[in-house]
Amino acid sequence: MTRPASLEGRYFPRSSSGSVDAYLSGTPDSLEITLADDEAAQPVLFQSVTDRLGNVARKISFQDGSVFECSDNDAVDAFFDHGSSFFGRLTRAESSWKFVGFAAIATVAVLIGIYRYGLPAMASAAASVTPASISKLIDAGALDTVDRVLFSESSLEEDRKAELTTLFGKLVKTSGESSPPLRLLFRNGGRIGANAIALPGGTIILTDQLVALAEKDDEIAGVLAHEIGHVSGRHSLKQIYRVLGIGFMVTIIGGDSGQIVEDVIAQAVAIESLSYSRKFESEADRHSVSVMLEADRDPYAFVDLLDRVVGAATKDAKETATDDTGWLSTHPGNADRRRDVAAHVEAIKGKE
Amino acid sequence: MSMEDTPAAPADQTALPFSFTGTASEYFGIWIVNLLLSIITLGIYTAWAKVRRLRYFYGNTHLDGHNFEYHAKPKQILIGRIIVLGVLILFNVLTSITPFALILLIPYFAAIPWVINKAIRFNARMTSYRNIRFGFEGKFWSAFGIFVAMPFAVILSFGLLAPVGSRLVSNYIGDGMSYGTTEFETDAPLGKLYRNFGATILFVLGVSAIAALIGGLAVTIFSSEGLLGLVEGAIPKGVGDTLTYAAVMTAVIVFYAVTLFSYLFYRAGVRNIAYNATTLDGVHGFQSDLSRLRYFWIILSNFILTICTIGLMRPWAAIRTWRYQANKTTLLAAGPLDAFVESSQMEGNVAAAEFLDIEGIDFGL
Repeated sequence: MTRPASLEGRYFPRSSSGSVDAYLSGTPDSLEITLADDEAAQPVLFQSVTDRLGNVARKISFQDGSVFECSDNDAVDAFFDHGSSFFGRLTRAESSWKFVGFAAIATVAVLIGIYRYGLPAMASAAASVTPASISKLIDAGALDTVDRVLFSESSLEEDRKAELTTLFGKLVKTSGESSPPLRLLFRNGGRIGANAIALPGGTIILTDQLVALAEKDDEIAGVLAHEIGHVSGRHSLKQIYRVLGIGFMVTIIGGDSGQIVEDVIAQAVAIESLSYSRKFESEADRHSVSVMLEADRDPYAFVDLLDRVVGAATKDAKETATDDTGWLSTHPGNADRRRDVAAHVEAIKGKE
Repeated sequence: MSMEDTPAAPADQTALPFSFTGTASEYFGIWIVNLLLSIITLGIYTAWAKVRRLRYFYGNTHLDGHNFEYHAKPKQILIGRIIVLGVLILFNVLTSITPFALILLIPYFAAIPWVINKAIRFNARMTSYRNIRFGFEGKFWSAFGIFVAMPFAVILSFGLLAPVGSRLVSNYIGDGMSYGTTEFETDAPLGKLYRNFGATILFVLGVSAIAALIGGLAVTIFSSEGLLGLVEGAIPKGVGDTLTYAAVMTAVIVFYAVTLFSYLFYRAGVRNIAYNATTLDGVHGFQSDLSRLRYFWIILSNFILTICTIGLMRPWAAIRTWRYQANKTTLLAAGPLDAFVESSQMEGNVAAAEFLDIEGIDFGL
């Protein structure tokens, strides 16, 4: 479009809500306003013009605080030579269905890419550069919390504790993990019963109930090796970073979608995270198998213990526990785990 | 205008309807480009995206042949967001490493009134109509009473004081707002607010009955399918019962949904009452006649459509909501609107505004 000699619109004098029909003419360096009911042109000093956006009328502000409004977007762009500005181009692109379609496909592709590859890579990278001092701080905080709300002091005999600590020490040596340094704590599991927990900074907690449920030390050793796998794989840290990353993504995407949609995305992500956590469990299981084989112990023993844990947890329940991996499970089902463990044992033995 | 004055008779007022000229197809392009650039720039572009989104909605909202305008600069918004992000990170780190996290609630509550006042002012100052910007003047202790103390009173009264809270909030915002040098005044009648509250309770009972029916069905389906397979060892013994778990999950979802629905219904009623009780310069009146059920339905169906289309219908939904609200709002003008004068009020605080934005707090003007 060729540059028009003047723009037709409305003129608002400084600080006033009253408008007058007017023309804007001249060049951007020497502009003149001519009011429709007054022939005399008055000079105005250009300050800014609003970016083009859809069909919204443009407002041209002058240094004295007055404003000229014009709804002919093309004419304004030509008049101020703004057609090739970033937002000028963007607005033209936004009204082309080809470009919008491309943008839609690109958005979905980028989102999937970030979710599948970007976030895990980011989480792994962040986890591997997190200094031990930070993860120790997280441990201290987490331990403080679980001690207050879940656990009470262990009632295991000191001899038994020493025995298990020695066993733990051997396993740590076998798995070759040194940073962050690992330590084993004993607690009464209270409400969560038989369980073992690995905190990101290398603190592993074993509950009395799990020790009581074990029939052989190999079973406990397998569980400990599993938890060591979580720490050396930095699974908790990765999980923390991933949740942070997803939260950030949701904020970006959901910025204008309202609270309800954001809540639903958050829930969907929480459920999806469980499958990510199942992936870590399988990884830790494989770590356990490797360490147990290396230490010449029974790699299957811990699955037997898990069977008993599930049995104990569901003893009072009216229904029988399923061995399947449900979509709401944080851990793989025991049948799946046994199969994977067997497969991994085969794989390692095959290599030898 | 004193409290006893009744609104001027419609005879000497001209009804000027608000209208909205944005279209879903046009906004879709703006929205998807905003989204794409926001993702690629790792969130930095969200500041530009927000300005473009609000400029589109304000710019397409017309009253008496003139549109509204949103003036915030993207760089300003970006700085505000960076400050908020820094404060949030600091706050989260502090709460996770100090054993006395509760102590941090004291500066938090002390900051809320200031943040709310500055945020409302920023949003008002960034909005103009006919070359005149809106403004807001709040007081710290009034805001403290209304936004910090009152919510506790509402909770302690099991919600019975909610209409009183709504009256205080509506009046506080209405009385604090100005258009140039001209003041708004709001005196939301408590009787009407309680009637709206009663209607909301009836609505909740109706929705709950339907929800209970659906919930009962869901429990039956979930438990018979065994979909909620047990989470090994991760679930406390006492809750280790699939049926209980499914029922608890369903109850939580239903409770959340009913709370949300009733809030939407209630809020639409409050908006009507607040607008109808608002005057500008003591002579111009406002009218809002949202249908509470229709508003609730619009938000609910928008939500379902947005989820079912993995977000692609979101632009359509946003346009639809905005248009409905604009179409149901009228200015009762007592004369021509060309004699308002700009004021020289300060700008407010962008970080405060962004804090409320990021936290999803909205006073819906």
